[in-house]
Amino acid sequence: MLEANKNWIHRHTTNARICHWIMVISFFYLLYSGIMIFLHFPELYWGKVGFQDYPAIFKLEDWGISWERAEELGDRRWGRNYHYTFAWVFVLNGLIYLIWNGWQKKFYRKMLPTRQELSIPHLKSEVKRHAKFRAAKGSAAAKYNVLQKLTYLIVLFVLFPFMIISGFAQMPAFTAISPELIDLFGGRQTARTLHVVCSLLLVLFVVVHLVQMVVAGALNQLRGMIIGKYKITQESNEVAQ
Amino acid sequence: MSKIRKHEKPEEFTLTRRKLISRFGALGGILLTGCDTQFYKPPINRGGLIGIADTLTMASQRMLMSNQQLVQEHDVSEITENFPVWNQSDPDDEEFQRLKAGNYVDWRLPITGLVNNPISLSLEDLKRMPNRTQTTMHICEQGWSAIAQWTGAPLLSVLQAAGGIKPEAKYIMIDAYGGWYEGYDMFDVVHPQTILAYGMNGKDLPLGNGAPVRLRVERHCGYKQLKFIKSIQVVSSVEGFGRGTGGLNSDFGFHWYAGA
Repeated sequence: MLEANKNWIHRHTTNARICHWIMVISFFYLLYSGIMIFLHFPELYWGKVGFQDYPAIFKLEDWGISWERAEELGDRRWGRNYHYTFAWVFVLNGLIYLIWNGWQKKFYRKMLPTRQELSIPHLKSEVKRHAKFRAAKGSAAAKYNVLQKLTYLIVLFVLFPFMIISGFAQMPAFTAISPELIDLFGGRQTARTLHVVCSLLLVLFVVVHLVQMVVAGALNQLRGMIIGKYKITQESNEVAQ
Repeated sequence: MSKIRKHEKPEEFTLTRRKLISRFGALGGILLTGCDTQFYKPPINRGGLIGIADTLTMASQRMLMSNQQLVQEHDVSEITENFPVWNQSDPDDEEFQRLKAGNYVDWRLPITGLVNNPISLSLEDLKRMPNRTQTTMHICEQGWSAIAQWTGAPLLSVLQAAGGIKPEAKYIMIDAYGGWYEGYDMFDVVHPQTILAYGMNGKDLPLGNGAPVRLRVERHCGYKQLKFIKSIQVVSSVEGFGRGTGGLNSDFGFHWYAGA
């Protein structure tokens, strides 16, 4: 079957694959339930206070969906129940992922860019390659490229924690547990607005992630993330390792 | 043994397990049987993944609030003009309309159930009791928030006026005009900022905000801040009220615990 066995590599570890798909499911539910909650109050405000008729910085009404229509589309009871349920799935899954991988040296080798990769010429050539939608080939395809590494690091260690913390800052219990956290955001409504903005950044990430998957070969990538096997396409001038 | 904490709260506001017991003691010689985990879960578990998440949310937040810290109090300059009137604004209830027409002079708050000395308080009685004024943020589960100043009698003092609670008491059920009712556990009852509010922003509580008396349980979403209060019952179980989930909101499918 695997003629030229050397062309196949083990792309993703078992734990990365399991955690990835649990994250996909919980991300989908978090996004969907978040939208359901938002539709029942389709305005965003800045500062501590915000309510209907208070100056808003975003109104869904301005985008052609009236308050009444949004209310019909949303379902905050379902939304709240599922939002918290999958927030727990998401957080516990993330912790398992970090603990499972955090003590392994190869995790850092896989995720952290090298000094050479961070050099301006290398970054330039990688941006150019991405702009042309050309996938990496040969041995370069066996590991994450520098833009990929940086993106994953930002998503894992900036955007995900930001979602969690800005979620905490909206909870009434946190007016007792840590009012400092709410003040840090500049108020509860600012935390809510930034929670939405950050979720849009995550959606943008997912879109780019899917486009990149198609560029690099959807079947091969999916197989890599499901069973772990990943086929390397050799460049003609490169010798198989 | 109590640990020395880095950020020791003022004595009055710290509520360690021992003090919690003594507060219950003040309520009528109750012993905390079992363990504190009774405060970690809602009266009825919904089951499934949602039920697990409910308990995780409630337990983790209650653990972080075990000192019974106060919620943030805002400066009066931050009070919101035009505080929203949400949900029920004038109960369609004959008795309530009669009381309203009489400026609530005939309004009575019966405190019954597992108390040592059931009583019925008038608005004047309530106003003569020790009171507390707090400027806090109201957070609605739908997404909005607004700041107001509330004045009222601590729920704990009101229960003490009824002779304290009996040992088997676990929840208090509050009925409101217009058919709403909601249940609370003792963790919220003993919190210093849990008050039966009759004043808002220095005036009598306006109709739309729940006149003559509403509840403030500051660590919860708006749906636990019951308006138009009618009666208080102290109970050992939430069975027999509505669908038996411990409140009208949880009957509707919301989480009984509204701290998140």
